Amino acid sequence: MRWTLLLPLLLTGSALGADLHWDTETQSFETKPGDQELVAHYRFTNTGSTPVTIDQVKTSCGCTTAELTKKTYGPGESGEIVVRFNLEGRSGATEKSIVVTTGDPQKSNTYLHLKVNIPEAVHLEPTILLWRVGDQPETKDLHITVDPRFPTKVTDVESDSSDIKVEIQTVKPGQDLNVKVTPKNLSQPEGATLVIRTDYPTENPQSFYAYIRIK
Amino acid sequence: MSLPAVALAKEGWLRQAAFIFLLALVPAAWSAFFSPVRVSWTRVVQGEVSLAVVRSWNPKEVLWVDARPTAEFDADHIPDAVSLNLEGWNQRFPQFLDRWQPGVKTVVYCSSTSCNLSAEVADRLRHSSINQVYVLSGGWEAWLKDSGREPTKSQ
Repeated sequence: MRWTLLLPLLLTGSALGADLHWDTETQSFETKPGDQELVAHYRFTNTGSTPVTIDQVKTSCGCTTAELTKKTYGPGESGEIVVRFNLEGRSGATEKSIVVTTGDPQKSNTYLHLKVNIPEAVHLEPTILLWRVGDQPETKDLHITVDPRFPTKVTDVESDSSDIKVEIQTVKPGQDLNVKVTPKNLSQPEGATLVIRTDYPTENPQSFYAYIRIK
Repeated sequence: MSLPAVALAKEGWLRQAAFIFLLALVPAAWSAFFSPVRVSWTRVVQGEVSLAVVRSWNPKEVLWVDARPTAEFDADHIPDAVSLNLEGWNQRFPQFLDRWQPGVKTVVYCSSTSCNLSAEVADRLRHSSINQVYVLSGGWEAWLKDSGREPTKSQ
C-alpha cells in the first residue's frame, strides 16, 4: 500500500508540534505561615524552527498576576513567565490556572497550573461563638491548637469587649489552650472579637480572630 | 484508470484514514481519562444556585455577598449586598457577621460565570461555620441581565 495520506500528515504533524516546550506546566508549593506572596517561574524554550509570539497570558483569578518580559521568541530562545499569587486571606489547598495563548494554530492555548497549600499555624474551633438574645448566658468553649510543624506560641488572648468574660485554661503552654467565653448578659444584640496573638513568624507575628455575636 | 483500480485506490485511502483516526484515538483517550492535568468537562461549584431559585426565596431570608474587588462593589452592586473578599477578610468579616442572622441563606456572587472568587469566599464562609451558603450561577452579569441592564466594560 502506498501511504500517500499518512506520510505527509505525520511529517507535517512533527514539524507543527515543535513549538514552545515548557520545563513544567504544573508546579506545587507549600507556603509558610505569614507568607504574603508566592512567586513561581514557568520556563519555556522555543524548540521550533520559526519565531513564536505569545499573544496573551491570562490568569484565573485577580489574586494572581503573570509577567512576561517580551512577546516574541526566536528558534532555540528561552524565556519565562513569572506568576505572583497574593496569599492574603487564603488558607488550605488551592489551585490557580494561567492560560498562555500563542499564534500557533495547532496548540494556541497552554494551561499552566499552580497548586498551593497554605497552612495555618494556629487552628481555632469554632471561629464564631453565637448566643441568642434572651437565652441564659451559658459558657462556650473556644479551642486553640498550634500546628506542631511550626515553632509558634500563643502569647495572648484578649476580648475587645468588657461585657464578655474570658477565662483561659492551658492544656499545653502556648500550644493547646481552651478558652471559656461567657457573656455577662444576653438582653440585647452585641458583637465582640477575640484576638489570639502569637510570636510567629518572628519578623511579623500573626494574630488570629474568633468572633462573638449575640443575635 | 479502470473502475476496479479506482475502487481499490478509494479503499486504500479509507484504510489510511481509519489508521490515522485510530492512531490519534489512543493518546486522546489517555489524555481524556488519565492525564493528571486534564480539564474537567463541567466545572462543579458547591452550592451553585440560579437567580430564578434565589428570586423564589423570601428576600428577608437572603443575604447577598459581593465577592468582587472592592472597586467594582463601590461602582455598583446588588441592593443591600455586603462586600466580602479574601483580601482584607479580617476587617470585612465582622461587618458581614453584623448583617448575618442564623437561618438566612447567604448567596455569594462575583463578576460572571468564569470568575472563581465567589466559590472561594463561599468555601471560607462554610469553613467559618456559616450554614446555607450558596454561589450565584452567572454572578453579577446574570443579575444585570435579569434586571434588563448590560455590564459595562469595567465589569
